[in-house]
Amino acid sequence: MKLFINQCKIEFLRIFRNPYFLFWSLAMPIMFYVLFTKVLNTGAEDKALWDAHFLMSIAVFSVMGSAIMTLGIRLVQEQREGWTKYIRITPLPDMTYFFAKMTGQTAVHLFSIIIIFTTGFLINGISLTASEWILSGVWILAGSLPFLALGVLIGFMKRVDTASGVSNAIYMIMAITGGIWMPMEILPDFIQVIGKSLPAYHYGNGAWSIIRGDMPQLQDILVLSGYLILFMVVSNYIRRKQEAV
Amino acid sequence: MEQAVDIKGLTKSFKGKKAVDDVTFSINRGEIVAILGPNGAGKSTTIHMMLGLLNPTEGEAKLFGANTKETKIRERIGVMLQEVSLMDGLKVKELLQTIRGFYPDPFSLEQLCRLTGLSEEVLNKRTEKLSGGQKRKVGFAMAIAGNPDLLFFDEPTVGMDISSRKVFWDTVKELANDGKTILFSTHYLQEADDVAERIILFNKGKIAADGTPGEIKNQLLKRSVSFVTNAQLPKELFLQYPSVSDVVFKDGRMIVLTDDTDFILSKIFEKKLDAHDIFVDRGRLEEAFEQLTAEQKEAI
Repeated sequence: MKLFINQCKIEFLRIFRNPYFLFWSLAMPIMFYVLFTKVLNTGAEDKALWDAHFLMSIAVFSVMGSAIMTLGIRLVQEQREGWTKYIRITPLPDMTYFFAKMTGQTAVHLFSIIIIFTTGFLINGISLTASEWILSGVWILAGSLPFLALGVLIGFMKRVDTASGVSNAIYMIMAITGGIWMPMEILPDFIQVIGKSLPAYHYGNGAWSIIRGDMPQLQDILVLSGYLILFMVVSNYIRRKQEAV
Repeated sequence: MEQAVDIKGLTKSFKGKKAVDDVTFSINRGEIVAILGPNGAGKSTTIHMMLGLLNPTEGEAKLFGANTKETKIRERIGVMLQEVSLMDGLKVKELLQTIRGFYPDPFSLEQLCRLTGLSEEVLNKRTEKLSGGQKRKVGFAMAIAGNPDLLFFDEPTVGMDISSRKVFWDTVKELANDGKTILFSTHYLQEADDVAERIILFNKGKIAADGTPGEIKNQLLKRSVSFVTNAQLPKELFLQYPSVSDVVFKDGRMIVLTDDTDFILSKIFEKKLDAHDIFVDRGRLEEAFEQLTAEQKEAI
């Protein structure tokens, strides 16, 4: 257990010392937030609601990106540099290493959420009830699971360049079609259809429901769980195939 | 006594080509063994199978009588692989502490610094900021961090400068004196000869020879007796003996290639041949080894 906690700490430290992470997962989303709620006039009817809505979008955007890209690309790097191989020879069980990685990553997400929420509170004075803050935070943490699983899938790629290209593309497509950047309603119909079949929209929708005083819809939970199971099954299959060598 | 390494009929095929072909050997505890061979001879593949990183196509490899994949075995081994991999985003100190934490009875950080020659300054650096030589040292420290009974080094001195090599081998010898078993692969002859008590010579996926450096040399090398002569001695004079493989003339000297130089000398004196300035030569290991490597290249 001590080993596990120590390993989580190490993973947490490593992510935080990564300048790419700091830029892509914290600095950029916060800049976007300021841009779309302070600088540009989006013409939203209910400014306070839009500010809160977009804060959720940005938090979802940040965590989703870190789950897919930070995790995926790091896994490929570790594989490539032989680190994964080294760990397999040490007495540290592979599973401990893997779960510590996930836990460390989740701790980082929690930290990102807190920072982004605090920013929203400070610059736009967003007022949500305590339970709304907590619930939306928990939703964003829990809802990141399918994206972590997707990151693991990306992690099976052989080259860092491929992994970074592919994960970037997936990330951007999901963010745009999922209504993370602009509300789903203003997107063309066919994009809405695509967006609603992908997990990002449902991830955001859960948080958007919470700040409107509702609960995430069953459909959101089902779609996210479905993708989680799908990604896990595929990774298990790939892992077995690779281990057979 | 319990054997540190026990390998039976180990074979690995990649796409039908045998990289390692029916290799069998065992290593006693406390031995320093070099796996010597040209690149592509199957050394790394064999080490990977010993470590459980590759599954053998046939045969089995056991360490301390058990499967490497068992935790109790992993606690007793330390490994330095060819590709230096250091977890990024960590200071050397943090990395080594983490690794130490994996093992039940690790070396202290001070001991590790002393053994590997790591300085306080390097300990406080981030791993991604290290030079190649410093990375190698950290890799070495990682391998021995757990105070293991059995150490594997795959081409350990590639990328090390001369002084680092010296520190490395001095430490390896010290560890061996403490009763640790050491197995390293190399394609440097000199290294195998200097450090190892035993050399397992690999060629084309098979064991070509296995013995002390002296025995390996004897097996590999052609010895010769050469001399200057004014008489017209026919080659047949020596070629009639089965121990003689060839007779050549070079630089005004008659050179008799043979397994048994004593015998040739006795014949020279017995027959009172006109021979002076007699040399008994034993080829250099490097030359024999280069020959082996060259043959390998031709085969490909």
